[in-house]
Amino acid sequence: MKNPDLRNNLKIILLVASWDLMKLKNQKVFLAMRIAWFTLQVLVFARAISYIVSQGILAYTGGVDYYYFYLLGIYTSLLYSTSISRGYVVADEFDDGIVEYHLSLPIKRSLFAVGRVLGCSLSTIIFTLPMMAVVYAILKVSNFLSILLSLIFALLFSIGIVGFVLLLVFAVRSADLTDILVGAIDALLVRLSTVFYPLPVIEATGIAPYYVAALMNPISHLSDFLRVLVFPEYYLVLRQGIVPTIVYMVAFSMGFLVIAIEYYERKLEAGGWK
Amino acid sequence: MKSKAVEIVNFTKKFGDFTAVDNLNLEIYENEVFGLLGPNGSGKTTTLLTIATVYKPTSGDIYVFGHSVTREDYVVRKLVGIAFQEPKAMWIDKPYDLLTWHARIVGYSMSDAKKIVREVMELLGLWEHRNKQFYQLSGGTRKKVELAKVLIQKPRVAILDEPTAQVDVLSKHALWDVIKKLRDEGTTVIIATNDMFEAERVCEKIAIIYKGKLRAMGTISELKDSIPRGDVIEIQYEGSRIPEKLFASLEEYGRIETQSSTLRIYVEKGEEKVLDVIDLFRKNNVKILRIMVKEPTLDDVFTYITGAKLREES
Repeated sequence: MKNPDLRNNLKIILLVASWDLMKLKNQKVFLAMRIAWFTLQVLVFARAISYIVSQGILAYTGGVDYYYFYLLGIYTSLLYSTSISRGYVVADEFDDGIVEYHLSLPIKRSLFAVGRVLGCSLSTIIFTLPMMAVVYAILKVSNFLSILLSLIFALLFSIGIVGFVLLLVFAVRSADLTDILVGAIDALLVRLSTVFYPLPVIEATGIAPYYVAALMNPISHLSDFLRVLVFPEYYLVLRQGIVPTIVYMVAFSMGFLVIAIEYYERKLEAGGWK
Repeated sequence: MKSKAVEIVNFTKKFGDFTAVDNLNLEIYENEVFGLLGPNGSGKTTTLLTIATVYKPTSGDIYVFGHSVTREDYVVRKLVGIAFQEPKAMWIDKPYDLLTWHARIVGYSMSDAKKIVREVMELLGLWEHRNKQFYQLSGGTRKKVELAKVLIQKPRVAILDEPTAQVDVLSKHALWDVIKKLRDEGTTVIIATNDMFEAERVCEKIAIIYKGKLRAMGTISELKDSIPRGDVIEIQYEGSRIPEKLFASLEEYGRIETQSSTLRIYVEKGEEKVLDVIDLFRKNNVKILRIMVKEPTLDDVFTYITGAKLREES
């Protein structure tokens, strides 16, 4: 290059660019997660989409339009991420040392744990109530019992998720690690569920771990339960029937609630993350 | 006879390899204002948080009115209230909401909670700040919100961790009066501080903690008297010299320093010796222009006991 100014400017631009390139090496986990998600999307979930497109969907949803199927799935997914964020408030409080104040209060810790889980779950339900109203309005759901059962099981689901987050927060005691874990679990749980893909479609992909994960996933259970409440014909899709789902939902919520209480009462000690 | 409010028995607290408190033994009696004096990182807060059952002892135990913090933590929490060193609130919280929730949790009905919260907030000058968010409050006001929690709770044992740090001088005096009133109403008060003036002003008994270990304990005068010849009797007399006979007599009381017509005698229990010294001057016909007894400060006590300067360590 003959022009020294141009060469100098180019050098400066490259030096400035190296600032961002330098940061890349500190984002190995982020990069690895992106690669993993992309690979998973291409190898696993794309197959489910391909199957839906090639075979037609109605046979796999018990005749329920995919749009309606999707609406209850996306509501469940929203309920899940709101429960996570409400539970994560406790992590913020841990970070700010507020847990020390809570641990010093003249109440039984088991009751405090129940109160916190219930508080986070109820606030999740209140927060997501308008979204539920929108979905149920589109679906023209007016049956009181269906709405009541939807709310009860949404609350049970939220209790389980919040209990799980509290356990994670107390056990990990690191804001960064909790962020990474919650992000990874969030991405996996929603994808490995029946939120977007009906269970028979997942089964048809022929990837056994994907099918088992979707079958064991609380998000699958709630979204399918809500679908059966609104569209009884969807019941035909659930090979195992609805009773195991009800048992699963109750066990899931109570299980994580009890573990969170146990942890809060016996093992939790202050000494914040900072 | 006063009963033991808090009894700390062979208490050790470790965080990984770091020993925050090492085999601490302490007794705090009912209706005392007891001070834990030591620099930052000496183990004061760890001890207080363990009394409040927020931490668990690594070994040993702490008893509050006979109840173990390890085995009866719930009972202990009903007896203890704590104002933390760092105010415990999220930046969006409002003092009134926070204190009303606290009042409800410690057992007030909704109407009583509103009443006591207003009463305490007015006492501490917080009422005008009741609906501000925490980030809008000054450091001193935030500390007052912490103290308000304890005043609302009226526990049998109140733990105050550096209660007047960041508080302005005028408010400090008002808060000290509030703390004394709390004691007068039957609460045992434990204060952690590295402010010697606060310790002298408020505490009846003091434990000096340094590097996780108890170094000394007693009333303020006992601690001051623990420094051998720590009191100074300073005399300004008429004339330029004093008779040798008088000087020899004064030397029996302690080391003497002279500077022009001022004489300093380093003695134990200066307040008891000062009358004898005045008598000696009178008998030797030397006129005293000015005389005073200076006690060692708590800073001197801390330096004598630990070999460190409290101000520098903090």
